[in-house]
Amino acid sequence: MPERNTARKIFIALLLVFAATLTTLLCRQFSVGPARSSPAFRAFGPETAKIRIYEYTDFACPHCRLTDAHVNKMLELYKGSVRLDFKHYPLTSIHPWSFTAAAYADCAGGQGKFREYADLLFEGQEQWARSKDKPREFTEYARRLKLDMPALEKCAEDPVTLRRIRLDSAEGDLRGVDATPTFFINGKRAVGANQLLEQVKKFDNLLKQN
Amino acid sequence: MSGKCEIKEVLGLAARLAAGGVFIYAGFLKASAPAEEFAYAIESYRVLPAALTLPAALAVPWLELYLGVFLTAGIFIRQSAFCVIAMLLGFEGLLLQALVRGLPVTSCGCFGASGSNSLGHEFVQNLAFLALAALALKYGGKFSLDSLIDAHE
Repeated sequence: MPERNTARKIFIALLLVFAATLTTLLCRQFSVGPARSSPAFRAFGPETAKIRIYEYTDFACPHCRLTDAHVNKMLELYKGSVRLDFKHYPLTSIHPWSFTAAAYADCAGGQGKFREYADLLFEGQEQWARSKDKPREFTEYARRLKLDMPALEKCAEDPVTLRRIRLDSAEGDLRGVDATPTFFINGKRAVGANQLLEQVKKFDNLLKQN
Repeated sequence: MSGKCEIKEVLGLAARLAAGGVFIYAGFLKASAPAEEFAYAIESYRVLPAALTLPAALAVPWLELYLGVFLTAGIFIRQSAFCVIAMLLGFEGLLLQALVRGLPVTSCGCFGASGSNSLGHEFVQNLAFLALAALALKYGGKFSLDSLIDAHE
């Protein structure tokens, strides 16, 4: 009889393991788990905003460049109602310099110029994205913005900076991001400008509801 | 005499649910976040070789989650509570050596990225969890799957 009871317990324990695993994996898939906030320099809008957006972007991706203008307009239009956390998702297998670009952008952010540096990266994307050697544009943009160059160079190689970008990327993988730009708008996924704009159309209703 | 016993059992049940809940919460938060995040926290304790931090970060959250579920449901209570106590003692060891060595651990990794208190605070908090797990081990048999199955002769 004790053996039979142990077998029953093992069976129930296995069922519980299965249920816990399935629940956690489903929560991962539907992004139910907590999302990390971006550093302050690449988080825009009040923390209490009713609409919360996580944007996964690659500076070397042409679609991201095209979508960036819509994102800026949206932030302007819904100022105070939208919070956007900018996340790096460099697709390094096809864009060899996007990771470095993300590092420079974060370091410019550390000096208070993330948005400006990001805009320059998008503007000049065609010049630097396919470069064979390390693009000169990264330092050129920094000079244009009058950033502290030695500090910027040091920061761009700092393991803490690189780690932060890798974490964003790993988080994107976990949330099933496989194309850029991908947005999570109050938990709902939107890929590319068209899907983003479709969601933006619902913002007025969403804000009225709450 | 029987009244005393009941209080012990109620306390044991509460402790079992609390300790199990904490382990489910900690395990779920970490298992649903990128493993790299927890791996970086493990690295900052400078105990494991770099090659082992990611495998550890992949395994520990699931272990916490399963132990938490077992403890909450009350299945294999003794074994689960022993494992929980062993894990908590291990965490205490890690925290203590970090405190003694003065390591700059900014996030203890205890509850994923949802904020972290000072190492001292986490150490004391774990002592409370240890007490709960010990209570669960000794008196946590009430309303458990173990007792239900054992009664079903």
